[in-house]
Amino acid sequence: MYFIIEDAINGILMGSIYGLTAMGLTIIFGVLKVVNFAHGSMLMVGMYLAYWTVTLSGIHPYLAIVLVAPAMFLFGYYLQNIVIKPIFIAEKNVREPLTVIIVTTGIWYILDNITLLIFGPQYRGLADNPLRGQMLELGEMFISVPKLYGCVTAIVTALGVYWFFQKTDMGRAIRATSMDREAASLMGINQYKIYNVAFGIGAATTGIAAVTLVPFYNVFPTVGVLFDIKGFIIVVLGGLGSIGGALAGGIIIGLIESVGPQFMTATWTEAIVYGLFLLVLFVKPSGLFGQKHDW
Amino acid sequence: MALLKVAGMTKEFGGLRAVDSLDLTIEKGQILGLIGPNGAGKSTAFNCIAGVFAPTAGDITFKDERINGQKPWDLCRKGLARTFQIVKPFASKSVLYNVMVASFATTNSRTVAEEKAIKVLESLNFADKKEILSGNLTIADRKRLEIARALATEPELLLLDEVMAGLRPNEVDEMVQVLKTIREQGTTIFVIEHIMRAIMALSDRIVVIQFGKKIAEGTPKEIANNENVIKAYLGEDYAAA
Amino acid sequence: MTHKQINKAAFIVVLLIAFGLPLVIRSATYLHILVLLFFYAYLTTSWNLVGGFAGVLPLGHAAFVGIGAYTSTILFLQYGISPWLGMLVGGVLATMAGILIGLPTFKMRGAYFALATIAFAEGFRVIVENIDFLGPFNVNGPRGLQIPPLNTGLGNFLFTGKEPYYYIILIMLIAVLVLTWIISRSKLGYYLNAGGEEPEAAMALGVNVARAKLIAMAMSSFLTAMAGTFYAQFTLYIHPKSIISLDLSFEIAFIALIGGRGSIAGPILGALLLRPVGDFSRIYFGDTLPGLHLIIFGLVLILVMNFQPRGLQEPLTRLYNRLVQRITQKTTGEIG
Repeated sequence: MYFIIEDAINGILMGSIYGLTAMGLTIIFGVLKVVNFAHGSMLMVGMYLAYWTVTLSGIHPYLAIVLVAPAMFLFGYYLQNIVIKPIFIAEKNVREPLTVIIVTTGIWYILDNITLLIFGPQYRGLADNPLRGQMLELGEMFISVPKLYGCVTAIVTALGVYWFFQKTDMGRAIRATSMDREAASLMGINQYKIYNVAFGIGAATTGIAAVTLVPFYNVFPTVGVLFDIKGFIIVVLGGLGSIGGALAGGIIIGLIESVGPQFMTATWTEAIVYGLFLLVLFVKPSGLFGQKHDW
Repeated sequence: MALLKVAGMTKEFGGLRAVDSLDLTIEKGQILGLIGPNGAGKSTAFNCIAGVFAPTAGDITFKDERINGQKPWDLCRKGLARTFQIVKPFASKSVLYNVMVASFATTNSRTVAEEKAIKVLESLNFADKKEILSGNLTIADRKRLEIARALATEPELLLLDEVMAGLRPNEVDEMVQVLKTIREQGTTIFVIEHIMRAIMALSDRIVVIQFGKKIAEGTPKEIANNENVIKAYLGEDYAAA
Repeated sequence: MTHKQINKAAFIVVLLIAFGLPLVIRSATYLHILVLLFFYAYLTTSWNLVGGFAGVLPLGHAAFVGIGAYTSTILFLQYGISPWLGMLVGGVLATMAGILIGLPTFKMRGAYFALATIAFAEGFRVIVENIDFLGPFNVNGPRGLQIPPLNTGLGNFLFTGKEPYYYIILIMLIAVLVLTWIISRSKLGYYLNAGGEEPEAAMALGVNVARAKLIAMAMSSFLTAMAGTFYAQFTLYIHPKSIISLDLSFEIAFIALIGGRGSIAGPILGALLLRPVGDFSRIYFGDTLPGLHLIIFGLVLILVMNFQPRGLQEPLTRLYNRLVQRITQKTTGEIG
């Protein structure tokens, strides 16, 4: 019995980290109305950044956020500005330019394989960082400390992002643009700058997620692929554009993955996750917390 | 004989009643106009008839068959065609291609569809532009293309949604002539319009609605002198009357 | 010579070259590469029926390849049924799957549709990878299925040399291109185009857009499954990770996109251009610069989408037409 609760708790913690990794994706979809297939690769870039920052400087992994988050923001900002913006300009009248999916897939291929070229296929792990393998004892249960840190970070980040979008001018401008980009531009908002910023924020969030993962997750060139697909699932489950939804979706996945193997093989839990994903797509495409767009 | 009969049609969106117990009849060979101030519910009524959505209440009968909630493509097969206020040409394709898509509603053969399409274009003096990419047409030509496409489905009843919008006065007059010719060739026409000059010149009978309800019905002359109609329009610019 | 005559002549020349190549190229390695080239060209052309003509972005077509491969292979290994028959059975199963998938997904918006196809394909792969038996059928999930190269002959769809495979896939490719050409000029083709471009207008003109898409999907999945059988008989080993892989689904879609989806020549052009690049870089740079072909692939994808969204077939066709015009001018002295 305790095992299930232990699994459940660790599952919720890991799930909140999943949610954090998916947060960038949902922000980008919510604002730009495009699915960023390069999302997993961006996470991978963040993880390598975090890994090398810690390895070369020896600081505590979480301190790496100070470097990784802004670096990722700039990375996302300019990626959108240089590579993706032309598509938006060309398809001005299309509300959801599908071509962006294709372009971001190209970015995915390039990022993953340049990383492979530069760093090689080896799996790297932060071997002796202060968090690795640490467990918190709660009665008879063992809670993973790095995942606990991750969960807290996820919640704090979510609150921070939420505050940003609700309370700051830039955040409001972004929300306005996401609802109707033409109307927003008529009010003096430069929609392309907004997209750059939104993409940057999405990337920064992903960078934070990367930092939380690095203490206990291996880093290798294709690490992003798994999170890419999981990210889509989480974001659809929770509702595209919903920060809280991303967390909720992530927690659901985390729970299925941790508690499921008690009752079936791990690979069947994977099938269940896909099944759940399809179910939500068919029944309530706007997700648990998404608004009813004209999707 | 009544080609289209609308009885007690009501359409509600949540708490908003856009159309309220609307009755109207279109006789075969007639041109019926539907006018009303902005937001009166004209487009909603139009879309209910055209099969975009089903009315909340009431009956729509076309050729003695109840057509509530039937799909646009089925209605098209039955002889009911419509145009769109915001024109939707298949922009990457030629004018001829556009009309051929519509002609296929009456045939499975490509050669026949092509012949029919060219004939329709010729009847609208449009055949010289048949190879032009529809995305490159002027707004007036796009409107003509909308009508050509709808005509190519060989409808008995043609529903026109603000087909004059955006046209210059001389283009409006041309369009009126075109529509009159179409009626002479046997098509019944139901037209929503804002441009008074056009609808007065075109319609045999006019129905006026305001706030979803019919407030007047009659010949153009009767409507122009109807007190309720004038009151409804007070304060609104006469577009090109 | 007129434009039309030149087109016909070019067509015949290309056919002659295609059929004559195995007589000139004797190396098994190069024949193998060519067979795979045609295989991909076939896959992308079949994909094009949905991804190009129907105007949606299916990213899970490898599932149909898998259905075809596994159906014919299981029927062959366990029941001795000829793979040719198995090919048809696989096609039918794939069609049913395709329609089942299409029914709920075609209603969705583009991005959601793409994600749904990915989910179906991946879900399918995960299931196949993890079961050993599906009822009486030995699927042998995690280990894959191997076809022993015994009893070669046409009836068993097994050959010792590469040449027979070459001709079979070439004929399949030509057949599918002809089919695509016929559809593009047919009512279904016009309806698919219209429905993909302006669904509302198309519906008002009598087009049942959903049904047209389903028909396209049915055809596409059937044809794609047939390629799965071919692959199984050619490589003699199938495994979910290779045949129901996301990489394969993506590769098919993106080759078609780079070549130009919606056109007839686009997908095959894309395959003709990109596959050799991939093979070349794999052979010569595989050790020193692994993944180079994917980087090139990604770059080409981005560049093409930015500058030639209708695919490379557009400028190439224009070039071809200009060339033909020059030739007609020279040979007739007038503008042909």
